Amino acid sequence: MAVRRTKKNRAPTRAEKAKAAASKKKDLRAFVSEAEGILESLLEDLSVLQDQGSLDSPFDPDLVNRIFRSAHSLKGLAGMFEMEAMGRLAHHLEDILDGFRLGRVNADSPVIKLLDGGVALLVSILSHVEAGEGETDEDIVATNGFIQQIEEAVAASIPPPSDDLDAFDIDPTVLRALTEYEEHRLHENIRKGREIALVDSNFDMASFEDGLSDLSAAVREVGEVISTLPSQGAAPESQIRFSLLVAMDINVERLGERLEQPDTEIRLIRAAQSGKSDSSESVAGDSLGLSEEVIKQSGKTAEPRQFESLRSIGDTIRVDVRKLDELMNLVGELVIQRNAIGDIVGKLSSDPATARTGAGLGKIHFALKRKLKELQAGVLDVRMVPMRQIFERLSRVVRRLRRDLGKDVELEFSGSETELDKLIVENLVDPLVHLVRNSFDHAIETPAQRVAAGKPTAGKICIRAMQRGNHVVIEVEDDGRGMDTEAILATAREQGLIVDSEDLSRRDLLNLVFEPGFSTRDEVSSTSGRGVGMDVVRSNLSSMGGSVELSSTAGRGTTVTMRLPITLAIMQALIVSVGDERYAIPIASVLETLVVEPGDIGRSEGQELLNLRGEPLLVKRLAEELEVESASRDNRQFAVVVGVGERRLCLLVDRLLGQQDAVIKPIKGPLQDIPGIAGAAELGDQNAILVIDVSAITAEVSRRQDAA
Amino acid sequence: MRSLLASSLEELDLPVKVIEAESGFEALRLLPREIFDLVVTDINMPDINGLELVSFIKSNDRYANIPLVIVSTEGSERDRHKGLGLGADAYLVKPFEPEDFRQVVSDLLSRDREAS
Repeated sequence: MAVRRTKKNRAPTRAEKAKAAASKKKDLRAFVSEAEGILESLLEDLSVLQDQGSLDSPFDPDLVNRIFRSAHSLKGLAGMFEMEAMGRLAHHLEDILDGFRLGRVNADSPVIKLLDGGVALLVSILSHVEAGEGETDEDIVATNGFIQQIEEAVAASIPPPSDDLDAFDIDPTVLRALTEYEEHRLHENIRKGREIALVDSNFDMASFEDGLSDLSAAVREVGEVISTLPSQGAAPESQIRFSLLVAMDINVERLGERLEQPDTEIRLIRAAQSGKSDSSESVAGDSLGLSEEVIKQSGKTAEPRQFESLRSIGDTIRVDVRKLDELMNLVGELVIQRNAIGDIVGKLSSDPATARTGAGLGKIHFALKRKLKELQAGVLDVRMVPMRQIFERLSRVVRRLRRDLGKDVELEFSGSETELDKLIVENLVDPLVHLVRNSFDHAIETPAQRVAAGKPTAGKICIRAMQRGNHVVIEVEDDGRGMDTEAILATAREQGLIVDSEDLSRRDLLNLVFEPGFSTRDEVSSTSGRGVGMDVVRSNLSSMGGSVELSSTAGRGTTVTMRLPITLAIMQALIVSVGDERYAIPIASVLETLVVEPGDIGRSEGQELLNLRGEPLLVKRLAEELEVESASRDNRQFAVVVGVGERRLCLLVDRLLGQQDAVIKPIKGPLQDIPGIAGAAELGDQNAILVIDVSAITAEVSRRQDAA
Repeated sequence: MRSLLASSLEELDLPVKVIEAESGFEALRLLPREIFDLVVTDINMPDINGLELVSFIKSNDRYANIPLVIVSTEGSERDRHKGLGLGADAYLVKPFEPEDFRQVVSDLLSRDREAS
């Protein structure tokens, strides 16, 4: 305390002032970026909420809770940074959402419609803060006006009717411990006509969490756990009893069949009301004694409500991804046109007669290039989506597998905010689902086997996504039995993928599973077919300019590592020529280029090698790989050192023609499956050229190298 | 919040040992292992909620006499009152001053001491 007081008496030095100002600025940046993050997820969640409302389907309670928590965090954040207007506004939004969450406010109440406007106002205030203006006077006036609107709407709204819970035969001990939120969930489920039951089960004190989470998971498959009340178990000290109040879409007997917990009692509180629909309209109809037909008609009034909610969506819009694709294509074509102008500039400038015109056009070309880059970045940014989207889908797959296979497997995610092009995300779903299924089905042992191996009974699959420069790396790791290299070797020989004499490194042996048609499984399993499909995983990734590798320790588990470019739409390519043809090599896989004289290349055991700063690199002639004629077999050539993951090799080409942006188009038809070719690209002169599939060439070459 | 309360308790002029539980489940595990003089719980918790914990403690002869404080956010009056109905001894509404919290705790502890 004393220290602080003496500091206050002394005037701060200029350095201290500057430091304080800088740290304030930094703090403000932290505030802006955190607030932006919260507002972004708020906008996203609100737009989902709008969709749910307009489809007349029940609101997802988790979603409403998440929106409530976002508003709550924003309030706290604004308070910490003394953003008075934002704090007050967030507080009011939080109140509305709390009411909605607890069933005090109806979904079609005018208050709910104000949420979008409130968030839009927060976004606008934040933009002023970000610009260094702080909360402006206008912001404060707008906030006050808006809060008044909220208060008026709150005063005008009628709380929804709720059933009297005492009318149901619910254990009063359970009823007394229900929070307001849980009571609301109970009302909601009664309203939906779901079956309500009380599930009592005794657990060992030492392991009740596992047993209970299994029980809850089983209920969640078919409904909702409203509350979980602990009480003294049958054997005090060593046991604990839990009473779960549950609401389900199926009959209680069916739940009983699903449960494995032996000591479980299920008491029906309220049987499912099959006639009831999910909409709140029908509830109102019921209580007025209206017939089914009338209810259906009144359901039609949902249409104008939908229209209104569309109008009030606010600052975010949902866009069909195909429209973005069209835009991206247009940008791509503009890039090509710009490249063409670049060529003309080059030609004009090299001729003294037109050099002046060339210089003038060159300036315009340069400006155009910069603006196009911004446009490209902008469109790309819109296409980016977080990995979370895939993770959510994978969770669903695993839930289903867990139920179907009776294996307990935990799924762990990290890097869910890592962003990828929407198109890549779409193409990544199948390979990832495939890998997770494989792990689940083949890699993770049965609980008994796991216990025997000294592992926890529950298996674990970790999926990690992280950004590395222009790439995203995704790892799928399981703690299963690992891969059996002997079996792989035997199968590979049997299927003629390798000959007996071949001696492969462990890594390359493992990566044989990516070869077409490879399978070590005899029996057909419905979960992952015949275990085939790892080749499909690789070809899926290759077609996106990515690569995949596998490592595994017997008995410990397997990790599959995938590398992908962040976007597919436009890539930087190195243009090379071999013979009469030109080819594009994605810059992302080019490590360096150099000139090689024929004497630089040595031979060892039938392989051509290039000494690169002491490291021997395998040499591959692109002409031979693609079976075309090289123009300069014995003259000097250019070497392109390419690498995917840890594999590196040197591709020999006739000439290097330069670097360009290229728009990749997939090849369809008979040319689709040429090994070594990933697709086609269009260049500035409107000519199409082939794009080299670096990962396929390196994979194949590296295998042959080890085999020799 | 939890560590804040814990450090605030350690500043009390009483020989207290604070044991923190990360969730309702952990609290259930800890209860039989130690002898507690006081329990402080939030209402919103992962796994089981604060009311369920209060119900468990107050309906068990072994724990029923442990003084119990509920902390909750503004707007949850109904939950708070239910908590008192279940036998909780006091509640505090977040945000509150550490001083208020210490006052409530030392009152409950001294009341408990006089009773025994």
